[in-house]
Amino acid sequence: MKTKIISAFIAALILSSCSEDFLTKYPETVVSAETFYKTEADFKQAVIGAYVPLRNIYGTGLADYGAWAMGEMRADNTAFIYNAANRGYADREYIDQFIDDANGGGVSNKYQNDYIIIGRANQILKTIDAADFDQVKKDNYKGQALFLRAFAYFDLVQYFGDVPLVLTPPTTYAETNVGQTPKAQVYEQILADAAAAAVLLPNKATQDVGFVANGAAYTLLGNVNIVLERWADAEEALLNVQGYSLLGNYAAIYNPANKNHAESIFEVQYYDLATANSASNFAYNFLPILQNPGVIAGFPDGNSNAYAGWNIPTPDFLAVYEPGDLRKDASVGFYTGEGYTNIPYIKKYVHGAEIAPNTNDDWPVYRYAEVLLFLAEAANEQGKSEALTYLNMVHANPRTGLLPLPAAGQAELRVLIQKERQIELAFENKRWLDLVRTGKAIEVMNAQGNSIRANPQAYYYPAGVTPPGYVVTAKHLLFPIPQREIRINPLLVQNTGY
Amino acid sequence: MMKILPLPKKYILIVLLFFCAISGAIAQNITINGTIKDNTGESIPGVNVVVKGTTNGTATDVSGTFTITVPGSDAVLIFSSVGYKSQEVTVGTQKLINVVMGTDVKSLDEVVIVAYGTQSKRNVTGAVQTINSSELKDQPVGQITQKLQGKLAGVQITQNTGIPGQGMSVRVRGSASISAGSDPLYVVDGFPLQGSISNINPDEIETITVLKDASSTALYGSRAANGVVLITTKRAKAGNSRFSFNYFSGLQAIPEKGRPDMMNAREFAQFKKEIAIERGQTVPEQFANPEQYGEGTNWFDAVTRDAIIKNYSLTYSASGEKFSTSVVAGYLKNEGVLLNSSYDRISLRINTDYKLNDNIKFGFNLAPTYSSSKTPQSDGIWYNSPSIVQSAMLTSPLAPYINPDGSIPLSVSGQYGTPDAPNWYNQVKIVKNTSKNIGLLSNGFVEIKPIKDLTFKSMIGIDAGNAVSDYFYPSTAGNIFNPPNENDPSRINASHSNQYAYTWLFENTLTYAKSIGDHNFDILGGYTTQAAHSESGSLSGRGFPDNRVQTLNAATIITGSTDVQDWSLASLVARVNYNYKNKYLFSASIRRDGSSRFGSDNKWGNFPSVSAGWVVTDESFIPENKVLSFLKFRTSFGTTGNNNIGNYLQYANVVPTNNPFNNVLLNGSSIAGLNNTELGWETSDLFDAGADINFFNDRIKFSYGYYKKTTDNLLYSVDIPISSGFFNYTTNIGKIEFWGHEFQVSTLNLTGEFKWSTDFNISFNRNKALQLGTANSAIYGDMTITQVGQPLGQLYGLVWDGIYETQAEFDASPKHQGAEVGSVKYKDINGDGVVTNDTRDQAVLGNTAPKYNFGFTNTISYKNFDLAIVCQGAYGNKIINSADRFTGNLDGTFNVQKDLANRWRSEENPGNGKWGKASGNTGPERDWASSKWMYDGSYLTIKNITLGYSFSSINVAYLKGLRIYASVQQAAVFTKYPGGNPEVSAGAGLFSGVDNTTYPVPRTWTFGLNYNF
Repeated sequence: MKTKIISAFIAALILSSCSEDFLTKYPETVVSAETFYKTEADFKQAVIGAYVPLRNIYGTGLADYGAWAMGEMRADNTAFIYNAANRGYADREYIDQFIDDANGGGVSNKYQNDYIIIGRANQILKTIDAADFDQVKKDNYKGQALFLRAFAYFDLVQYFGDVPLVLTPPTTYAETNVGQTPKAQVYEQILADAAAAAVLLPNKATQDVGFVANGAAYTLLGNVNIVLERWADAEEALLNVQGYSLLGNYAAIYNPANKNHAESIFEVQYYDLATANSASNFAYNFLPILQNPGVIAGFPDGNSNAYAGWNIPTPDFLAVYEPGDLRKDASVGFYTGEGYTNIPYIKKYVHGAEIAPNTNDDWPVYRYAEVLLFLAEAANEQGKSEALTYLNMVHANPRTGLLPLPAAGQAELRVLIQKERQIELAFENKRWLDLVRTGKAIEVMNAQGNSIRANPQAYYYPAGVTPPGYVVTAKHLLFPIPQREIRINPLLVQNTGY
Repeated sequence: MMKILPLPKKYILIVLLFFCAISGAIAQNITINGTIKDNTGESIPGVNVVVKGTTNGTATDVSGTFTITVPGSDAVLIFSSVGYKSQEVTVGTQKLINVVMGTDVKSLDEVVIVAYGTQSKRNVTGAVQTINSSELKDQPVGQITQKLQGKLAGVQITQNTGIPGQGMSVRVRGSASISAGSDPLYVVDGFPLQGSISNINPDEIETITVLKDASSTALYGSRAANGVVLITTKRAKAGNSRFSFNYFSGLQAIPEKGRPDMMNAREFAQFKKEIAIERGQTVPEQFANPEQYGEGTNWFDAVTRDAIIKNYSLTYSASGEKFSTSVVAGYLKNEGVLLNSSYDRISLRINTDYKLNDNIKFGFNLAPTYSSSKTPQSDGIWYNSPSIVQSAMLTSPLAPYINPDGSIPLSVSGQYGTPDAPNWYNQVKIVKNTSKNIGLLSNGFVEIKPIKDLTFKSMIGIDAGNAVSDYFYPSTAGNIFNPPNENDPSRINASHSNQYAYTWLFENTLTYAKSIGDHNFDILGGYTTQAAHSESGSLSGRGFPDNRVQTLNAATIITGSTDVQDWSLASLVARVNYNYKNKYLFSASIRRDGSSRFGSDNKWGNFPSVSAGWVVTDESFIPENKVLSFLKFRTSFGTTGNNNIGNYLQYANVVPTNNPFNNVLLNGSSIAGLNNTELGWETSDLFDAGADINFFNDRIKFSYGYYKKTTDNLLYSVDIPISSGFFNYTTNIGKIEFWGHEFQVSTLNLTGEFKWSTDFNISFNRNKALQLGTANSAIYGDMTITQVGQPLGQLYGLVWDGIYETQAEFDASPKHQGAEVGSVKYKDINGDGVVTNDTRDQAVLGNTAPKYNFGFTNTISYKNFDLAIVCQGAYGNKIINSADRFTGNLDGTFNVQKDLANRWRSEENPGNGKWGKASGNTGPERDWASSKWMYDGSYLTIKNITLGYSFSSINVAYLKGLRIYASVQQAAVFTKYPGGNPEVSAGAGLFSGVDNTTYPVPRTWTFGLNYNF
């Protein structure tokens, strides 16, 4: 008996010491994180990976929630065609109707993908200093990571207010629960990151095509300061945006044949090669609901488009165009047929598709026209006369077919600049945030709500459907923190009113 | 030629048919008949009858009779059976030998299979239940687990879907892990399987033993937390040489109860007409006159059918002095009740034993199987994939599935009142989804007795398999909102995948059994290693020119991926059983497991157990009496583990995340999770106490068990705030307590010519979460919640409160956004005056685990007739029928339940209070999960009724026994649950209790026969 115990014990020792190799299995199909984040190639790949969630934020997949729902359709520029046959995407309608809640797909898509960018950027920023490779490349990658982190936090703070500020990757489960940081503090971090990125990044001429250059970082820095109404800081940053120019043709800005053109500062890159799995689809979302999208030039026949009818330009918006503005025809199309009479739809992004529903359109995030309009705004708020010059550089560019605006007072110019933004940057997810930061959102949207209630059919509701909602209060200036986060993280506080 | 006793004509035909298959000379020796009875005059089935010194033998049939041919009058017959004293009879001049066998008290100690060995049943100190194959015959089903339904105390076996060859869930004592899997470990002839046992032919199985408590399972250590099911397959018995053939053939049909109650064409047109009027819209012309329509298309009927199931099983076994073998060949053909679904299986098992001498024995088991299945996408919610059952239900009954001219339309267009969709009758047939599996489970062992009482056993085994599956989705297929378009080849896609996998086992054990006076020892020690490897690849293709070539050859865009998975386990096992006079019983065991699945800090785990038993009736202070025949108390305590979490989870991996820049796809990489070097064992501490009590000379057997299991360090991929950059983190986070009571009663109600016995079992399983993560935050599922202090996976959502039936009620009630008179009403749980669809007003709605489960089997025999009735039921659980969201859709988008005719129309005409108005904001009624969709899931199912007849006196060589039977499987389901299948997911898991519509479970009518040569 005793010998047995001893021999069993010896066997145990032998077994446990010899079998460590036998009991260690590493995955063969992926790289372990412990061996990654070491070389220049590792960081190049890591930076590329950090761009990926941008495609989700701006929209991938017909059934997904692109940034257009919260950035554009929420505002007065666009509405939607009530889809009586498919009620499955009612939560997109709720965003337009101001009856959205924390369960909506739109808020989680934005919130989650922004934090995935931040997580990937944090991982790069934590490890890159210890890695040993060329300093120029290191600065470039670090600058891109800082830009992407600042960009994601800026998106979060504008839509959600106070959000958790995480700057290093958590290492334990306990560290993953983080409460909200006041938005003022988040803004300071965004400013710091954007400023650091602007210094580290190369200019557009030397940067790889499609990757962010210092112009993007300065534009971001300018944008943040505009939102914070730090006009002088904004102007200073924006003046550093060098090496860009306006295209002579407005429609050419959006043509996938001209990706990353001279006016483009930052665009989200899509690619319709079937094996690349990175096509965009939003052009399909923005068509009227059609049995056959092939009736719109460039799209193949077939594949009935039940996911369409979103982001449809409103009559209020169409009325803002001045007569003769060439941008109208480049931006908005009209379709008659299949029961529609002259239904407007966004034409900017209509460039057809090889294989339905995959399109090759990029999403323009920052382009030089906006920098000029930001400069106009920053100058005007400081009472500087260059404001009108900047404004007319956009307004009276030959591509618009319009005459220069005459001199005007500061208040009048303020209105004109916002109107110019509404038209020039239409359907580029600028309008809602512009209404919020200029304090106009509640007034403008309630006015439109009254019009919709008075005449729902003018806003594409079918007869017999009474639109709910369209009562806009201060709570609607922020979106709700997604329900998943509220449930999981007891430290989070839901935004007021939700 | 042969003498056949008068038989009904139709049976003669069958018998003759089999004789045609057998040719060859028939030796004419002396034929002996006889009947074997016990002391009470009961005939004994299954007694082995062997001609001494030969391998010639047979066994008595159900009525205790036998027929055997002996070479001459000096032959000696040996009669033996477990529980009886063996007898030898010299034939002499007798042609009829009737034998009365005395019971053998000592051999009443029936032997049961336990971990790494066998044990006398009376000495077992754990919670163990064995089912013999004889108790499982007759049920016309393809999977062994279906036959076990209703028979095991404390084991919940439910059929979650009717897909042929799939869908059985087995939960021992309500076991549930949060995510690490809840299935028991299956061990076939000593080989722990990696997956399920659905590919095993039930006719190969000799016994099934379920190990429930720690003392019986702890030797399987890190895989034992959910219980262990030991399966032994048929081996030749000494002196027994026989051929038998089992056959059944049946018709499967979906019973009336279980079919959805959708509107017919006239009702649907009426519904569409009314809601247009209620909304102030023009009534579309096709609905203006509903009276013109009749029943229309019943889409559920259109995609289902009555289907055939057939099973053939041929068994041969022979045993000699040195060499014995048992062969079972089987073929199952199971057409499914959904069109184009099927499961076929061909199986073979050869178990061979070779005895070199008294000290050395070899054994070889070889079991190849081939199975193939066609599985249309039947289950689930319509929008997740074109899941045919639910999609078909929602389609307009106005649309034809076959045109009057006999042609088959490709799609159902929107003009019939529901969205554009494919013709499901066509879809179910044209989308190809097939899989084929080849499996080979084999092991070999050598048993050496170097010295007296010591046995060394070494086993090596391998379970290898290859699976191939193919999918083709033609342009003529589609889903709701996306109808077929034959001319758009970009819709076509196909995939092909294959998996090659093997698991090997190498195991060495030493056992030493010794009795010294009244002290009996049995010691086991050993080590075992097991490792698994799998390689899989999948290819998918697009860019087909048309539907003609369905393989990837025709695809112009092909993408693919491969995967490799490995795990390994190295273990030491040891056990000591000791008893004093077979009266005081003790046992202790330990297993030490090392697993590749855990972090470097936690690779090894120890799983000990101890147990004790006391046979009270052997004490002198219990006098011999006629009432109490046996009483044993037993208790055990121990630790088991669960490592069923998938491979490599302890590592943070870097995965490809590619992104295009300027129309060039560049390689990107991102970290996919957080590292966890501390990832370790989920361990369960089990306490078990029970008693076995027999009365009236064992005519009433009663067994009771109590258990309490505390599972700690629950493995879970816990949701974490996305601000970390990740969605979840696999870690050991929580603690759950399980406890319960189980009762089992077996009674011999009547003996004699009319025999009746009853087995009843009932179990009460409870559980409670004690700790969840560091913050104890609740775990949410789709309409479920698990929170500390409460049972796992309770249904969760808004509390439905009817309809705002009147303006007065509306004014006086809390409201949600968009609420109106006539719209759905929910309770304001937090009392803030507003109803919001989030945690503020969501509440626990009900428990998905039954209050109790029970099973009930009656076996009756009279003369040559036998009758068995098996029932199973559960009481007190709730089910959410998520199809209600669509079949109760007030928008007019889908076809709906007939009950929607009773919706709210006005204050004067409020309907039955269940459905709101069809105009206005229907979103909150349609989209918000609530108790409106919840139902009582209690059920009682008559699983099987079998009536058999045995031909007792067939006096023909080569036909030693014939029994025919008729059987109904899933005979009747009694439940208030309106969905298709109350067993849908009644397990106590974390995310169960939600019925997303599944393949219907059919009723099967069969005829079968058992034929012995």
